[in-house]
Amino acid sequence: MDNIEYLFAGFAVFWAALFIYLLTLQARIRSLHREIEHLEERLAASEGVTAPASRDLRGAPGASGGAPARGTTNS
Amino acid sequence: MSTLLLRVYDWRWSVLPPVTGIAMMAMIVGALVAAPREIIEGEVQRLMYLHVPSAVIMYLAFSVTAFASVMFLWKRDIRWDALARGAAVVGVFLCGMALATGAIWGKPIWGVYWTWDARLTATLVLFLIYSAYLLARSVAGPLDEQAARYTAIFAIIGVADIPIIQMSVRWWRTLHPQPIVFQPTPALPTEMLAVLALGFIAIAALAAWLIVLQTETERAAQRTSALRAEIDHREIA
Amino acid sequence: MTSLTAVVAKDLRLAWRNRAAWLSAMAFSTIAVLTYSFAFDLATGDVRPLLPGVLWTTFLFAGVFAAGQSFQEEVDDGTFDALLFSPVGATTIFLGKLTANLIALLIIECSQLVLATILFDVGLLTPELLGIVVIGTVGYVSLTTLLATMGGHVRGRSVLLPVLSLPLLVPLLIGAVRATGASLGLEAGTAPWMLLLLVFAIWSTLAAVLLFPIAAEQ
Repeated sequence: MDNIEYLFAGFAVFWAALFIYLLTLQARIRSLHREIEHLEERLAASEGVTAPASRDLRGAPGASGGAPARGTTNS
Repeated sequence: MSTLLLRVYDWRWSVLPPVTGIAMMAMIVGALVAAPREIIEGEVQRLMYLHVPSAVIMYLAFSVTAFASVMFLWKRDIRWDALARGAAVVGVFLCGMALATGAIWGKPIWGVYWTWDARLTATLVLFLIYSAYLLARSVAGPLDEQAARYTAIFAIIGVADIPIIQMSVRWWRTLHPQPIVFQPTPALPTEMLAVLALGFIAIAALAAWLIVLQTETERAAQRTSALRAEIDHREIA
Repeated sequence: MTSLTAVVAKDLRLAWRNRAAWLSAMAFSTIAVLTYSFAFDLATGDVRPLLPGVLWTTFLFAGVFAAGQSFQEEVDDGTFDALLFSPVGATTIFLGKLTANLIALLIIECSQLVLATILFDVGLLTPELLGIVVIGTVGYVSLTTLLATMGGHVRGRSVLLPVLSLPLLVPLLIGAVRATGASLGLEAGTAPWMLLLLVFAIWSTLAAVLLFPIAAEQ
């Protein structure tokens, strides 16, 4: 029984879907990290003006350990 | 216990991608080269090494969603919501892959892409339930506590519904006259079983890696909206 | 128990005041039955093989539609949130809402059964069929009420409600359609389908009653 084209199609669909998923996910991660960096810079700038009152408020409850700890403020 | 878990979790980027990559490569080689050719079904039978692990591990991913939803309702920590979402995305992905590879296998073997067989129908309903879950969660913001609670309850109901759906669909099909599509499968030869086990390892590692990746993306989205809220708060003050 | 009757009476009064929404659900289900008669050409030939499906999809769509509509006003006024702060208890509040919705939907469904009996000349008002309708309605109304009341403030809820609830209700639809079919003499024995309906009704009511307090917690 020769049905190798269906085998090829099955694997192709799986891999194509996986790579599309990973690419969109990576694009989303990258834009989110860029935005986080940008927002942190803005926050650091405003911190220079106003009193650094609520430093621990930044981020969600328990933001530590969430996003990889890069792009911290460069003040 | 939790510190040990955190220690293990710290290794995720050094462990999960290489393990996933190696296991996936080994699975492909095993499925396409090492495993013997099935006599009746021919080459297309090799899709089984992708299809069966995807279908089984999809249930694990949905269980993770349900568990994280319970934990979210209990602890009220938004991080559990990110995990629930992450696992649901991966579960829906695996579910879609199981359906797609199954349909492609079905065309040469059954002669049709789709048949209203009990297991297929139940899987399709599951796919719809968790797609609806993701849709409902994504219309609200990442830090919307009420929407997170709403979808967490929906995820729990969804998991509790799985056995009833499977039972009902089985009755729906089997109390109906229909051509037999599933012959009792003969016991698999050892080489096939070994490759299938490899497939399970590969898809499990892939699912774990994707869940971690997707969860951390949701965490980043939560952090972004928290930062935005903080800046808005500052600028008003 | 007295607080439950008080809450039920309040919800029934609310449903009466909000009768525009319920009337539109009834109009919707009538139009659905008419649409099906044109689409499937129910005017000619034997309608019985199609009738259970026509009736139950109509009931489900009307139920989901009504669950979203009947609750909108209370959410907009904020009276539901206020009620949750009262000492009555979330479970009682939910049971009240559930009972009121159940009664209103049963009225709508019975009117459709009468209409279908007249239109299609099939005896639908048998005790067995009414029992199937009651159990089936209990099964779906608890889930739709839970999803409607819980997500009061969630954006896009009215659009999401059918998308969320209909896949969950697949077992109910199967059981109800087949039980109705068996009751019309299309197949032998309603017993297994009644069992499925009963299991689903108990499961969904329990799940909704247990989960609502968690959902409503402030």
